[in-house]
Amino acid sequence: MILADFGTSYCKILETESSQPPRIIATRDLAPDFRADLATGHNAARRSRKHVNELTVLARGGECLIDDPDFVLLDCGSRDIKFVRYRDGQVADMGWNTECGASMGFTIELLGRYYNLEYDKLEVPLQGFPVTCGVLGMSNIFDAVVSGLSETEAVARFIRGIAVNGYRFAGSPEKLYLSGGLCDNPLFVGCFPCRVMPLGRFVLLRGLRQYLKNNG
Amino acid sequence: MAPIRVGIVGVPPLDVIRELCEADCRILDLDEPQVHKSIDLSSELLPRVYCAILRTVVLNAMFLDLDRVYIDVGPGKCDCALHVASILEEMLTAPVIRTTNLDNQPFGTPICRTRMKLFDKFMAVTAGVRSVKPADNLEPCTPTAGFWGVPPRDFSILEAFPDTTHIYGWTRCMENKTPADLELETHVNPDIPMVFFSQSFCAKSALAHHLARLHPRALFLDCDVTAGNSARAKIEAFLELSGVPTGPEG
Repeated sequence: MILADFGTSYCKILETESSQPPRIIATRDLAPDFRADLATGHNAARRSRKHVNELTVLARGGECLIDDPDFVLLDCGSRDIKFVRYRDGQVADMGWNTECGASMGFTIELLGRYYNLEYDKLEVPLQGFPVTCGVLGMSNIFDAVVSGLSETEAVARFIRGIAVNGYRFAGSPEKLYLSGGLCDNPLFVGCFPCRVMPLGRFVLLRGLRQYLKNNG
Repeated sequence: MAPIRVGIVGVPPLDVIRELCEADCRILDLDEPQVHKSIDLSSELLPRVYCAILRTVVLNAMFLDLDRVYIDVGPGKCDCALHVASILEEMLTAPVIRTTNLDNQPFGTPICRTRMKLFDKFMAVTAGVRSVKPADNLEPCTPTAGFWGVPPRDFSILEAFPDTTHIYGWTRCMENKTPADLELETHVNPDIPMVFFSQSFCAKSALAHHLARLHPRALFLDCDVTAGNSARAKIEAFLELSGVPTGPEG
């Protein structure tokens, strides 16, 4: 059975009968006729036999991976951010922001390529920009560069602003479990004003497996 | 002779509704979409970033040929309605009559507590505003989920809920014909998962957020003119993860 998390920029694909780890394919490189058996993500409805709500699989993935009845799990994707909060092993709150949290991951990747930055070599800045979304936040970078700040520092401050925005969106927890490709970006992870536990980019796939187990 | 066409905003006092019914007036609820026109046409008179219900009121008033408007501007509606009353007064030649509904005789809330499609419950409650009669005595059901708030601009967000969803908040006050009853409006059920709905830019969003924060299993949901996929997905996931069976059997 093929499970897939069809993200906006990257697709994560798992063949349940195979011992291989999940594959990551850029969405633009995915064959047009590729279909999954069970999937989640923006393109899941048209690329799979059955699709599951992203928040549901995020929560199910969190239940499997986090050994704590109380947790906040934030997924930062290319295009949107979403979180689930559990209290006493039950879902207590959740949110999905496709507008004000829009394009965070995509913008961070775009900026890294444009300015040729290696995020693992950047220092966490002391301050961040007041960023509400990736697209609107870019103006802060351009303004800062015009006023004499280095491109590197401007992007770092932008990323700090993005991280703080995600942290507040998730309810400003003391400890935050993080899901998504940005777990691999040390600058982003380091910019959160709380303890961060990165779970990697396959949390939604884990949630799909659990969904499959629960629903047959 | 054609009936007098009267627009109402919010829940005018029962005495007003009785008078209109006795005079066989045609009552048009301006809070609900009555004309097939783009809501953006109202931005000539009201900012785009504003409560979608009141934008709908202005849009309706622009295109309906009304003889009179009653707009409730008291604690049973909101401050925004108070200001929209001034706009209506300036734009219409018909009289705009401000009311302050402090009715406190409870009519009961059988619709809010019975087993019925949530969409149909909202239709019945909102239709009840134009009547002086209480709702039929419907059998209450055991609630499996709750919906707190005003009637949403976009009823499509109601589709995911099970038929055993109870309605709370201002909609319950509407059915009870006591729109300024803050005690009833703040009543919630802590034993069931509840969605606290707020129309974007509505003053009641503070109350929705506050009550959601205090409730053990709550989803605060804010929607503007139409409900996007993320709003629907949030409801769907919240109900599923809360173990609420959905559909008619739910």
